[in-house]
Amino acid sequence: MAKAIVAKNVVKRYITRVRKGLVRSVKKIIEALRGVSFEVRHGEVVGLLGPNGAGKTTAVKIIATLLLPDDGEVYVEGFDVVREANEVRKRIGLLLSVEKGFYGKLTGRENLEYFGALYGIPRSVLRRRIDELMKLLELDKLGASSRLYEEYSLGMKARLGLARALLKDPPILLLDEPTLGLDPPSARKIRSVVKELARNGKAVLYTTHNMFEAEIVCDRILLINRGKIVAEGSPEELKSKIPQMRTVVVYVRGFNPNDVERVAELVGVKPSLGIDEEGFAMLKFQVRKPEEVLNDIVKGIAKLGCEIARLRIEEPTLEDVFLYFASR
Amino acid sequence: MGFIEILYAETRFVWAGLLRRKSALFTALLYPYILTAFVILVGSTMGSPQLFVVRVGIEPVPFFIVSSFMLMSIMGVVDDIFWKPLFDEFMGTLPYVIASPVDRVLYFVALPLPRLIIVLFIGLSSVLPVMIMYYGVAGVYEAVVVMLLAGFGALVFATLAMCITGALYIAGGETWRSLNVIRPLLMVLLGVFYPRWLMPLTAQYLSWALPPSHVVEAVHRMLAETTGNAVQYFVLLGVATALAILYAPIGSTSIRAWERKKLREGISV
Ligand SMILES: Nc1ncnc2c1ncn2[C@@H]1O[C@H](COP(=O)(O)OP(=O)(O)OP(=O)(O)O)[C@@H](O)[C@H]1O
Ligand SMILES: [Mg+2]
Repeated sequence: MAKAIVAKNVVKRYITRVRKGLVRSVKKIIEALRGVSFEVRHGEVVGLLGPNGAGKTTAVKIIATLLLPDDGEVYVEGFDVVREANEVRKRIGLLLSVEKGFYGKLTGRENLEYFGALYGIPRSVLRRRIDELMKLLELDKLGASSRLYEEYSLGMKARLGLARALLKDPPILLLDEPTLGLDPPSARKIRSVVKELARNGKAVLYTTHNMFEAEIVCDRILLINRGKIVAEGSPEELKSKIPQMRTVVVYVRGFNPNDVERVAELVGVKPSLGIDEEGFAMLKFQVRKPEEVLNDIVKGIAKLGCEIARLRIEEPTLEDVFLYFASR
Repeated sequence: MGFIEILYAETRFVWAGLLRRKSALFTALLYPYILTAFVILVGSTMGSPQLFVVRVGIEPVPFFIVSSFMLMSIMGVVDDIFWKPLFDEFMGTLPYVIASPVDRVLYFVALPLPRLIIVLFIGLSSVLPVMIMYYGVAGVYEAVVVMLLAGFGALVFATLAMCITGALYIAGGETWRSLNVIRPLLMVLLGVFYPRWLMPLTAQYLSWALPPSHVVEAVHRMLAETTGNAVQYFVLLGVATALAILYAPIGSTSIRAWERKKLREGISV
């Protein structure tokens, strides 16, 4: 079987006009994607993780045939998103925004029936499918079936959005920040459904800027920043890629802030200084191998006549990875 | 993805919306009467109903009831085609509509049908009773013909509406403002309230380009009973059909060009 999604060197520039005065306007080119390549296989959740404006939504729209790339190629199960858009459209389920995208004056069920019909799902199949999805996403419990969409809470809107994406049971799901702004129960529900779907063989592209979420949902993460993929791998692989991996945090009683330079001399690494809520000085050492500096730290602080209250070694988080690559 | 499925989807959409807003349904039922009352009230300040009969050759009440009904059917189609993309963009549903494997041209043809069918039934409560009042049993026959022709006039407008919609959306900017200018212009040029044979020449030429205007003329002529010549009606309806067919390729090109433009610029969510 062809790979679920293959993107090769995708480039997208937006051309906007910035008004200068009454008639004059200046063309401004925004490079949203600058040569992005990646693959998504069936049965995995791939996270597209990046800060605001990184190009996540742009990438999703291109795969969903809603935006023409300026350069590069994208294939969905072997079909070209530009030349064979209709084949692609039959294979993807899409969620672009959790807070919009349905008709407010229709109930959740009527909305799903409308889009189901538009997607060409036979009526008898559609009715059963909507019941299934309402149950799966616990929309029935929330009374979503008979309530108008405009009365929905954000959590219900997001669930309905995922339900629509799943209506035709597509092999590929494109979910753009599906948990943005949701409360923990709704977010957890959506994450667990997504993971379960991937276990059953669906390919999922999941964008988020929430590190914690990417770590628990995604099998693989693509870090995107300013239109480029800057790192790629499983959460563990990514963490091992940043050089200064661990942080030794030392809580010190009676520390004189002016002694930071002396500590740096004694240990060989300059710590950052903070104060914790109990009033201890908090010295943070970023090191590759904590075991090599621990002794020096303890001895150095003793030499200054201070006392160590607590000591902790922090493993890197995905956030560190994110910040590390985003700042490069 | 067949036409029937799209039609079914749109029908569900319109029905669900309409049932929820009973007041809108009620207003639609009253609309021909309100418009007729208004026009006749204003008209009476300028001239007597007798003068109207002399100039137009039709009693004012049936004329305006029929005209309002025609206007409602014909403009309903144009409105559906004009506004649905704007509405979808506003609701954030446009990307999901575009990402459906639906033929865009079929979609735009199917779009106005459900509402049109509902509107045609409104003829039963407006055109039918008034025609019976004025023309007796023969009025039933005329009312049925008027309703059928209203449906026909609305349908032949679809392709031109697609041309205009595509062109306007491609031009960009605040499309709804342009629509607010074009809509009343179309209403006047249709000649529903102001028979075409009374228009100035340039307006007549413009009016000729609108397929439903010929259907409107046929209805007016039938009411005026100027001639019993059947050929005349066939010519008028034939011209309307021919124009509609002529606009079809332009309409579909225009819609596809608009979609293409959207895909280049990105559809906002
Ligand atoms: N239709 C558009 N016209 C012009 N510029 C756009 C358009 N859409 C997006 N951009 C710009 O392209 C860049 C990438 O935007 P994109 O929406 O893909 O980012 P994102 O990663 O989804 O961000 P966010 O986390 O805010 O959703 C941004 O600089 C954005 O301002
Ligand atoms: Mg985005």
